[in-house]
Formats: sequence, C-alpha cells, structure tokens
Amino acid sequence: MINELLLQFAEWLYATGWSRAIEESFYLYNWIETTHVLTVMLSLGMLIFIDLRMLGFVMPTVSAVKIAQRLNIAMMVGFAIMFVSGLLLFYAKPVYTIQSIWFRIKMLLLLGAFVNAVIFHKRMMASAGTWDNEPKAPRHLQVGAALSLGLWAGVVTTGRLIAYDWYSCYRDLPGLLSWAAGCVAE
Amino acid sequence: MELLPLSFFEWAETSFLGYIGKNYGGIYATFGQSLHLISLAVLGGSVLVSDLRLLGVLLKDVPSEVVADQAHKVFRIALIFIIATGVFMAAAIAQKLFYNAAFWAKMYALIAGILFVFLVRRPLLKGDHSQLNPLTVKLVAVASILVWISVAATGRWIGFS
Repeated sequence: MINELLLQFAEWLYATGWSRAIEESFYLYNWIETTHVLTVMLSLGMLIFIDLRMLGFVMPTVSAVKIAQRLNIAMMVGFAIMFVSGLLLFYAKPVYTIQSIWFRIKMLLLLGAFVNAVIFHKRMMASAGTWDNEPKAPRHLQVGAALSLGLWAGVVTTGRLIAYDWYSCYRDLPGLLSWAAGCVAE
Repeated sequence: MELLPLSFFEWAETSFLGYIGKNYGGIYATFGQSLHLISLAVLGGSVLVSDLRLLGVLLKDVPSEVVADQAHKVFRIALIFIIATGVFMAAAIAQKLFYNAAFWAKMYALIAGILFVFLVRRPLLKGDHSQLNPLTVKLVAVASILVWISVAATGRWIGFS
C-alpha cells in the first residue's frame, strides 16, 4: 500500500514540467549533482572535525564544546545546501529514486544520524563545563560521535550507490527485496 | 596535454587493481567511489576549517596556528586515502580516462593543489601567524579553497564527460 502511494506521488512529480526540465538539462542536472557532492566538504567536513575532537584525534588542547559550537553554523549551512540540492535531484528523477533500495536505506540512515545528533547535542550540553578541556569526551559521548561517523559513512556510501541499478525493479528481485525497493506489481 | 602515454593507461587497466575494479562492481563502488567521497569530506573539511579560520569566519577564539597545524595533520591522512582510492578507480577505466578532458583537468588541478599545500601554504603557516602580512594570509586561504574546489569539481565531471 505504502509503495503504491509513494510511486503515485513520484509519478505525479515526474509529470511536472520542472522535473522533466532538470533531468533533461545536461548542465543543470550535473551542476546540481556536483553541488550536492562538493558540499560534503562543508557539511560532513565540519561534522567529522567535531566527532574527531570528541574522540580525541584533533585539537585535543581546544575545548570540545567550543569546537562543536563554533563549527555548528558552517555545518548547518552545508546541510541546508545538501538538503536543497538533494531535493532537486530527487525531483528530477522521482520514480527511479523512490524505487531505489539504496535511496531508501540512505533515508533510514539519515533519520538515524539525525536522531543520534539530537541525543548527542542534548547529552553534550547537559554535561558541558565538566570535561570540555579533556582531550577526549566522556565515554557515552564518544560512542555518539563514533556512531555519527559510521552513520554518515553509510549515508555517503548508499547515496553513491543510488546511481547503480543492481537491485532495480525491472530485474527479477526476490519478494522481500522487491518490497523493500518499493516495486509495485503492474 | 597528457602527462603520461596511452601505453601506461593500457597497462594500468590490465594490472591487478584494474582487474578488480573492472570485474567487481560492488568493490569499485564502495572501496573506490564511496571511500573516495568520504575522503573528500575529510580532506575538504580540513581545508575549509583552516582556511575559514584564516579568513576570520570561524573558530576566531582559537589560535590560527593550532587550527592550521591540526587541520594539516588530518589533510595528510585524507590525501593518502583519496589518492589511493582515486588510483584504484582510475585503473579500472584507465583507457577511457586517457581521452577524458575532465580527467586531465583534474590531474593538473591536483598537482597545483599539492604543490601549493606543501611548497607555499604549509611553509608559510608553520610559524607564528602574527608575523605574516594579513592580506597574504587571506589570499592564501582563498587560493587554497579555490584550488581544492577545482580539484573536486573537475573530478566529479570526469563522470559526466
């Protein structure tokens, strides 16, 4: 049921003029994609620095909470660009993307990374001031930072794999995989 | 202009790395492409953290020497990973790359970037930043951001051309 609805929505998006215009424009589509890829330097670049600081790998002499707070704005600007360019990429190829198992895993990992970040931020602020100047964050925050790195590595990997059609609906997929990819019987 | 002869690219494709990349799509996409992108995030992050600090955009209350030193450490590790994964990807499609203009553009941008980092930026930023002309420091930061964005963008366009 949910797969039928998602597909109908994607087909409706596909039929809109702008969606066709973006996908059919060589330069527009590829530059949006380039923007999406290059902005990982800002969004994930800052995020990785924050997480590595928590784990004690970079800037151990600088307050960890300070690093997190100072890099936060640049990171958020990066994620805003990622979000907008990502939406446009989805809008240009909605039917293909909604039926990509990689895209679906990527969205789940993104959700996980978001929840992890919210919990991490809450816990960091709750204990801020007691450990900031230690080279490493307390164990529970280190776990959050490591989880963050792992989840984002998964987001990048599955994001890159969306381009591959190994598990696309036109192939003969086993039942569960076919459902998970969002394939709908004709 | 090509830096290496076609015969080198023909050999690369028949090498062990080329064979793996060509015949195992999953390994190519994950250990090649995805790891290359993750390395890009780390490398780009290290470049931006130190250059935006030099430009006075972020971490203004942390000494720029500390930021530049720490970021450079991360940069070197990321550079090793990004070159290793890049060589792996290139080997699999070496002959196609020889005729790809974006590939050569990227190689020139990359060489420029590496020379700039190790011959200009790093030697300059090694010492006390207060002894440097502030304008020089800002120009170096802008040049650094531009050269690495060029490397990444021409790299992405290898796949489009």
